[in-house]
Amino acid sequence: MKILAFNLQGAKRAMLLADERLENLRRLMDMGCFGELEGDPREWNVLARHEAHTLTLAEFLAQAGKDVAMFDDVAALNSKLAFGDWDGCQLNASFPIDGGSADQYLDFDRGLGDALQHLSDDTLILVVGELCFVLVASSNPITGYQDGSSLDLTPTVLELAGYPLPANIEGKSWVAGMELNRSSGLSDDEQAMLRERLSGLGYI
Amino acid sequence: MKKVIVIGLDGFEPKIAESMMARGELPNLMRLREQGGYSRLKTTASAQTPVAWSTFSTGANPGGHGIFDFLTRDAKTYLPLMALSRYEQKNAFVLPKVVNMRRGTPFWDLLSAKDVESTILRIPCAYPPDKVKGRMLSGVGVPDLRGGFGTPTFYSTRKDIHGESSEKAVNVSVADGRVATHVIGPRDPKTKSDHKFDITVEIQQSEDKIIITSQGQPDKLEVSLGKWSKWLKVKFKVGMMQTVSGIVRFNLRQLEPEFELYASPVNFETEEPLFPISSPQEYAHDLAMKIGRYYTAGMAEDHDGLNNERFDEASYLDQCRTVLRERRKMMEFELGRFQKGFFFCLFDTPDRLAHMFWRFTEPNHPANKGEDVSRYAKVIEEHYRECDEIVGEAMKRADPETLFIVLSDHGMNSFQRGLNLNTWLHDNDFLALKSGFKPGESGDFFQNVDWDKTKAFSLGLGCIFLNRKGREANGIVTDGEMESVREGIVKGLTGLVDSDRGAVAVRTVARSEEVYRGPYASEAPDLIVNFSEGYRVSWDTPLGGVPRGLFADNTKKWGGDHVIDPALASGILFMNKKFSAESPGLMDLAPTILNALGVAKGDAMEGSDLIS
Repeated sequence: MKILAFNLQGAKRAMLLADERLENLRRLMDMGCFGELEGDPREWNVLARHEAHTLTLAEFLAQAGKDVAMFDDVAALNSKLAFGDWDGCQLNASFPIDGGSADQYLDFDRGLGDALQHLSDDTLILVVGELCFVLVASSNPITGYQDGSSLDLTPTVLELAGYPLPANIEGKSWVAGMELNRSSGLSDDEQAMLRERLSGLGYI
Repeated sequence: MKKVIVIGLDGFEPKIAESMMARGELPNLMRLREQGGYSRLKTTASAQTPVAWSTFSTGANPGGHGIFDFLTRDAKTYLPLMALSRYEQKNAFVLPKVVNMRRGTPFWDLLSAKDVESTILRIPCAYPPDKVKGRMLSGVGVPDLRGGFGTPTFYSTRKDIHGESSEKAVNVSVADGRVATHVIGPRDPKTKSDHKFDITVEIQQSEDKIIITSQGQPDKLEVSLGKWSKWLKVKFKVGMMQTVSGIVRFNLRQLEPEFELYASPVNFETEEPLFPISSPQEYAHDLAMKIGRYYTAGMAEDHDGLNNERFDEASYLDQCRTVLRERRKMMEFELGRFQKGFFFCLFDTPDRLAHMFWRFTEPNHPANKGEDVSRYAKVIEEHYRECDEIVGEAMKRADPETLFIVLSDHGMNSFQRGLNLNTWLHDNDFLALKSGFKPGESGDFFQNVDWDKTKAFSLGLGCIFLNRKGREANGIVTDGEMESVREGIVKGLTGLVDSDRGAVAVRTVARSEEVYRGPYASEAPDLIVNFSEGYRVSWDTPLGGVPRGLFADNTKKWGGDHVIDPALASGILFMNKKFSAESPGLMDLAPTILNALGVAKGDAMEGSDLIS
């Protein structure tokens, strides 16, 4: 599974997860899980290098032989996404110490909306702000509000994306031992839905 | 001409119209016949609403607009799909878009390009609506809130209740004269559960009615025994961001010994429909503000509710009249402000009503099961008289500078016997079941069909597809073998006799290229089966069933149909100007209308102006 990460340094939870106008991010929240992270924001961000922890997500992927391309602007990210030859992409953006204005968050959401246009279903999306996150993947069995430690985010992402967990990893995957969603053929439920939708025609 | 007014009467059968006129009935249509003329109108292959009206719209055969049947198949999965529109979603993270599968150029595009305004009410196969100069309200093809042709709900205190066909069944219990339940909304694709809207039913036994209390509008809704309620506006919270609203009507079946209540499919609400149903987008709601709430679903009439005996004929008739009335209100409101250009309004009820009441005109129809048919024997004719009255009303708006047209897309006929086409294909070695399975042991969706040994299969209303190598997922028929397979099926089916009745069930079988040409002809079924009067493809066939036996009696209340040999399913055409063509067809309307308004016909239009 491909991984697309948004590293929004300093982005405040109260803005990121609560503003209804961020419609693309909201849709992702509806599809996956989101919530608060415990930890010290100065020491812990899975997407950025800090003294206090072992490796970033990108570094773990590098260990698995996968490149993560880093971007500072949305236009460059989008041309990479559109081209399609990538395993991981990460956008890095900084928000001011005070959290910034609502406009900056709306800008980010518009950029996110553009980026989403270029994805295939087989993509894991991770948005990380200051001690908060949104995580979407078709394999993710967890939906809705989820809180946990920052440490746990990396193993969770790696497991959902189908990577083996390295021995030296900190934290514990939230989905360890859970059955991951896998798309298969037409389920009984989907067959029933198809029948229901078509039968109302009357002719059949 | 300054104006063209077209009144569409879906499924209006020429034989009935002609015999009524011979008796001096249908005075307005007769007047129209005298002013200009009348003819039967050639329909499309196949004789179905979406196919025929798309040909009306584009002036092209179905190969030029891409609609061949209500249903088509997904060549990758062999599953049936709605053929009229598709939800396209680039990936799981972005919102889906509706795409109209009716392609080609409708004549109103050419009018718009020349700045001629159109008012188009309830045109089929325009979902999402075409961008038109003027206004358009979409008709057949608009789904209900669950995304299908219509999903009703049946509430009952009976423990053994289960849903029939598209229906959902809800087992409820009465406590202190109250029932706490819910209206069923859209399916959540992620959790696979249904969104719900809570309602409380208060039973007022002595007055034979219930009061439905909810957070909807109105907050208290009365439903009388055996009657339709007014609309209830309901809301479903489908995500943190999104609520979806809809409108629903109830019919109270009984209060004792069991409590039983029917809820119509939830229609899109005009103020905030899930997807646009009009152009401009706000037009649907502006119209509702003028004439009141109206059915928005393409299939407005609850034929399934009657088929499943959730309410009786009287209720269905009442509903058809409601739909006819609200459509008439739309027409009158719009004609009231119509000055020049093109006007169209389609009345669907002649079709929907005749499907369900045809059996009453044939005492020997297997669906009657000995029932007294006299009570409803004249309902279709009564409805035709009401349609004639509407035509009369519209004619008042026609001046000497108006071309006035009344037409139907196809006729209506008897449906007494159904042919199990997949079973025939199986018995004649064109379709194989997995080893150990016999016909009758295979459900819908081609369950237990052995694709590696199957040369042809039937899906939709009389379509046969070959299992083509390189086209279907497990295709085996090569280009070289294609003609011999088709030859075998054509020879075997042509003149097929229903031995129980000693009657010919299949008149002919058309090869795709004999009836279709143009840019989308390659999407057509490979063969089209042309049934005799009284016959149709069986109920078990359209979704890919392989039942036991070749023929089956049609015992459903849906006892009339028109998906037979198009030569037997012509529609009607009346015009207030003399027209000369020998055998006018639906393809001729677009050029005729364009020419009347001084606009050149499109390159892909195959018909000709009927007047010049």
